[in-house]
Amino acid sequence: MFVSRSMVKEVITVDKDLSVFEAHDKMKANKIRHLPVVDDKNNLIGIVTDRDIRSAMPFSLLKGGQNEEEKAKIADLKVKDIMTQNPMTISPMYTIQDALLMIQKEKVGAFPVVDSEGKLTGILSVRDLLRAFINVLGINEPGTLIGILAEQKVGQLKKIVDAITEENISIGSILVSRYWEPDKRGVFAYLLTNNVMRIKKKLQSLGYTLLDPMEWYLDQLPKS
Amino acid sequence: MRRTGYLHDMRYLLHDTGPYHPEMPERLIAIHNGIKDGGLLEHLTIIPASRAEQKWIETIHDKSYIRKFEEVCLSGHSTFEDHDNGICIDTYETAFLAVGGILETIDMVMGGKIDNAFCAVRPPGHHAEVNKAMGFCYFNNVAIAARYLQMRWGIQRVGIIDFDVHHGNGTQHIFETDPTVFYYSIHEHPSFAYPGTGREFEIGAVEGRGFTKNSPVLPGQGDDIYKMLIEKDLIPFFEKFEPEVIIVSSGFDAHEDDEMADINVSTECFSWIMETIMQLGDKYSKGRVISVLEGGYCIPRLPELAKNHVAILLNF
Repeated sequence: MFVSRSMVKEVITVDKDLSVFEAHDKMKANKIRHLPVVDDKNNLIGIVTDRDIRSAMPFSLLKGGQNEEEKAKIADLKVKDIMTQNPMTISPMYTIQDALLMIQKEKVGAFPVVDSEGKLTGILSVRDLLRAFINVLGINEPGTLIGILAEQKVGQLKKIVDAITEENISIGSILVSRYWEPDKRGVFAYLLTNNVMRIKKKLQSLGYTLLDPMEWYLDQLPKS
Repeated sequence: MRRTGYLHDMRYLLHDTGPYHPEMPERLIAIHNGIKDGGLLEHLTIIPASRAEQKWIETIHDKSYIRKFEEVCLSGHSTFEDHDNGICIDTYETAFLAVGGILETIDMVMGGKIDNAFCAVRPPGHHAEVNKAMGFCYFNNVAIAARYLQMRWGIQRVGIIDFDVHHGNGTQHIFETDPTVFYYSIHEHPSFAYPGTGREFEIGAVEGRGFTKNSPVLPGQGDDIYKMLIEKDLIPFFEKFEPEVIIVSSGFDAHEDDEMADINVSTECFSWIMETIMQLGDKYSKGRVISVLEGGYCIPRLPELAKNHVAILLNF
């Protein structure tokens, strides 16, 4: 679960003296929203985002308008004039969990990844984290989700997993989440099978309540 | 009354999925009893199974996959590729009989001997991918049928309607880039139900973009949502596409008493769905509607569901 495994390694970068127009074209051509700015030794010196560019450019130019006067006004504008200097970075040895929490805290869309010498080695965006999360959920593989309400006490998950194992069903993922009632947990098992009839009955006979699918939330507490 | 074919053969019971498997031979017995006890048998043209020529299966599936399937069946294994897919030594031949029976049925419809048909086959097919067995399915029966209609009978546009509670991933993927086959599916939402595909934004790709349409339904929903979505999503798309033949992937597992999923469609609503499909068939496809069995696991409910289904085909 290290950033180095999920980040994009072939980073598209720009020089600080590139014009804002060219940076904008580069973003559009590559369908990206973050361009790290590096010097000739690949040291990270800044980052420019599509939002920086939008703020710098009049609306008519962004939409491809041909207002020569406005164009001339910002033709001299360079990346270095609008970039964020010394942006927040992460290390390739950060975990995905670090990155998730940091992206939520800092409200940014991507982090440049730099090594201990300040060299740019990758970039990790919300998009990469989503991909990692889809892998964790296992939803790229065919399966069925079942929700189980369990008491919050030691050994509950083992009983559930044992029951699933006895039915010879492979598990794509199991998420345990908080529940409205403080002494309970929602257990969400993504099972790699089409056939959940027997396991559902088995869990009920073991005393578990199956959660009503329409009441299912991966996070059962109000957002803080 | 219409002239309706009924593909029915005891050899479809030979495919044994093993103990406690929901896709069991008893399903077909229940279906047959419903049709028989409903007094419909005498009005039907019974079509016995016949073995498909492998070249038609190869229009969809790779030779290497077909060979592997044969080897695994004949060597006595109890599952193929996935624990879900219970097999026995007869499964391979039964799968050939399912395809062959459907192709024979198509010949009868296209040759004008019958107007429409219900193909009560096992194993089902809509989860089967080009190279992979999935969800109790080995050969994609309806996909092979669609290709056969095009290659053998020169049909240009085939419309597939899949009302099994699970999304027909195989059928969708096979025709995803193909604008000559329209795939419509209504099913339980893939975030909850197998196989996890069939989301609203899956609409086909490249030339086939706009020729796939999915109506995912949230758990606990039933008749009202089904009727609303079919009127909103299926009818206008088929009006535009004008299929020359309609193939139906008929699964009865969205029924409220079927425990395979969490959708609550009533017996009456299944009839409404089929009547709606027949109206589309009359309007665009000269009544050529070929219904092929997929899922449906509630043995006590299958007789009535099958009887109603066939009665609607017959316009009885």
